[in-house]
Amino acid sequence: MTQLPKGGGYLLGSTDPKNIFTPEDFNDEHRMIAETLSRFLEERIFPRMEEMDAKQEGLMREFLVEAGELGLLGADIPEEYGGSEIDEIFSTIIAEKLGATGAFAIGHGGHCGIGNLPIVYFGNEDQKSRYLPNIATAEKISAYALTEPGSGSDALSAKTKAVLSPDGKHYILNGDKTFISNAGIADMFIVYAKIDGEKFSAFIVDAHTDGLTTGAEEKKMGLKGSSTRSVFFDNVKVPVENLLYKPGKGHVVAFNILNIGRHKAAANSVGAAKYALDLSATYANERKQFKVPIAQFGMIKEKLAEMATRIYAAESTVYRTGGLLTEMINTLDPSGPDGYKVIAEGIEEYAVECSLEKVFATEMEAFVVDEGVQIHGGYGYIAEYPIERLYRDARIRRIFEGTNEINRIIIPTTLFRRAARGGFPLKDAMKELKVYLNGETVARENPGDVVQAIKDVFLFVMGVSYERYGDEILKQQEILGRLADLAIQAYTTESTWLRTQKTAAANGQNAKLKTNMATAFIYTTVEKTSLAAREIIATLVTGSELVNMQSDLNKLLNYTPIDIISLRQKIAGAISAAGKYVS
Amino acid sequence: MKILVCIKQVPDMESRFKVAESGTWYDTTDLAWRMNEYDEYAVEQAVRLCEQEKDSDLTVLSIGPDKVKETMKKALAMGCSRGVHIVDHEAYSRQPYQKAAVIAEYARDKGFHIIFTGMQSQDQASAQVGILVAEMLGIPCVSTIVDFAYSDGKIEAKRELEGGMKARVTTTTPAVISCQLGLNTPRYPTLPNIMKAKKKELLAVSFEELLKVDPLQETIEMYIPEKKGGGMILEGEAGELANRLITILQEKTAVLK
Repeated sequence: MTQLPKGGGYLLGSTDPKNIFTPEDFNDEHRMIAETLSRFLEERIFPRMEEMDAKQEGLMREFLVEAGELGLLGADIPEEYGGSEIDEIFSTIIAEKLGATGAFAIGHGGHCGIGNLPIVYFGNEDQKSRYLPNIATAEKISAYALTEPGSGSDALSAKTKAVLSPDGKHYILNGDKTFISNAGIADMFIVYAKIDGEKFSAFIVDAHTDGLTTGAEEKKMGLKGSSTRSVFFDNVKVPVENLLYKPGKGHVVAFNILNIGRHKAAANSVGAAKYALDLSATYANERKQFKVPIAQFGMIKEKLAEMATRIYAAESTVYRTGGLLTEMINTLDPSGPDGYKVIAEGIEEYAVECSLEKVFATEMEAFVVDEGVQIHGGYGYIAEYPIERLYRDARIRRIFEGTNEINRIIIPTTLFRRAARGGFPLKDAMKELKVYLNGETVARENPGDVVQAIKDVFLFVMGVSYERYGDEILKQQEILGRLADLAIQAYTTESTWLRTQKTAAANGQNAKLKTNMATAFIYTTVEKTSLAAREIIATLVTGSELVNMQSDLNKLLNYTPIDIISLRQKIAGAISAAGKYVS
Repeated sequence: MKILVCIKQVPDMESRFKVAESGTWYDTTDLAWRMNEYDEYAVEQAVRLCEQEKDSDLTVLSIGPDKVKETMKKALAMGCSRGVHIVDHEAYSRQPYQKAAVIAEYARDKGFHIIFTGMQSQDQASAQVGILVAEMLGIPCVSTIVDFAYSDGKIEAKRELEGGMKARVTTTTPAVISCQLGLNTPRYPTLPNIMKAKKKELLAVSFEELLKVDPLQETIEMYIPEKKGGGMILEGEAGELANRLITILQEKTAVLK
């Protein structure tokens, strides 16, 4: 078997296009579930979105039960507990398709994503057999309660407390949780609390236990059909056998589940953005001004092209990461005594990739829904048009599953820490780059070369930042944020280019369109790379040192611009002809 | 009870079709493929019958290249028990008579009580195959059904006629039934059933081995008809629209003089 790529390893070597997973690699079963989902959404969910957003009593539960009948809740649950236990690509497809359904995606994710995975990965035999079969059918609806009024991003500062009862049979929970999705309809919660105010731990709590109450429904900007409430714990008795994993190990559960949650959030964004583009492309074909469909105007074409291009990039990135997670989960052997640790470390391996894709895909979605409203003109501001809902629903995705700021911090911080432990050979990479810069450097002649340039710039600037600040770099948020952006640019451009090459080599569908989108994406992204890198070096050094470093950057970024405008016209042509996103 | 359902893989009808270089079929590049809509009704009805009659065995059959297996897997995920893939890389050029002969040759001596087909394929629309299979096997055929019931070897079906009329028809097994829109709502394959379908038998048989007849017809040319003058869409204020409409009617028609 081939060695699994290391997390963050994409930054160092080159990757063979054959070794990444792409949507073109879907098997018959993947395509079939995508078709089942499309029909389910078109026939059942979309026609009733308005009722759902009006919070019609019982509708979310009804839809979850229907989804359970189709097997859409048990994708991550082992077969012996009523699920299908299939690869992460299935879960990614489900998350992507559901992304367009706003509130339902949140109800679904809260229930069988973050409300379920802690038990799947960290539950013991007894916990799995008691809860998972009911989750697979939505007989019991689950919710995930981590955030507190005073602790959001700083989750470990939670104040909810668990104390062992005198007879040793229960933990007594006291505290408040806030912004809990599914709270109003939940039958069970995954709750994080500190045992004796110290040991951060995870518990499975029956929602119908005495002392557990929920607050009023929050009035939200979007995702209105999903229940969001505070949850209050007033001496809630939780049987000791409902402690998940180990006392004091709640952070292992919480953070690893969040990694998977981030992957699913990114997939949600891809699906929502595709739906937004489909609506916008159709509208632009139908809406006439000055006697021609607005799809024929250059500025509208450019919007459609850029929307499609960024979706293509995010889709390539999300499925590449889905492929990594699938392979990783397949190679894990959790049967030993340290099985849970094996799983936690396995998921942690791709923490950087999960953060990267979450930030990129959610910001891609923000761009796409914003331009979608713009294409719709005044009608885009009217609630009757679904683009208005997509615009509102999108906003939270840059905030939850770890704010994009927290995720940006995670990316370089994790890499610096791995470098310090010898897991990420930053120094060697820096040495190589310096040798290259002192020798004869080459011009970047094609999109693949430009991707390499972006990766080189990231390593160069990361190395220089570390030379300047040492471990203090971890306190320089402005630099960390820019380093994260560079790492994101490297991962997304590379994923996009590798997928495009793989398709071209296989003579696959729409190879020409894919090449156009990848090329446009890479050549517009490298300009952002250049800006972020220059801003970093200008704050790190001054005078002649800055001049020299600027010259090094110029050497790394030695490429000739291409005609982006004509490329986008071709891309827009393909999108308008289809009246929807194609790739 | 032994049941056979015949399905065809066709392009998504929303695709933009071009005539292929051969001039006798459409260009298949960049097309997405799915199950012929009428065959979905046939599969659904066959699965329902299978659920109704204990110990039934339902075979799904499809003719075509390897990629038709994807569509066959969908039928298996919907509930068919096994698949027979009649491998034919030239399926697009075969005439209905040849396809029917191959299906009849396969089905002969297998003891199927009922053979379901779609009433026609969406891409070729000959509406001949099911009827020819019945003729070749010497059994009755009820075509274009919109309602189906079975009990004790007796079939009762409703057929759709022109002008909003319907007819009730009965026959006995063995028989061929061809299915029309409105017969039922095909189920979605569920995720667990999709995974179970992977383990079901999918037998490959060569088309040539079963082919014992010559074609009786030949497609000379496939073409897109010349566009006749398209419709006109008038836009604007109601009063102004009425005036323009009157002008057009006066100038271009004999309605107003």
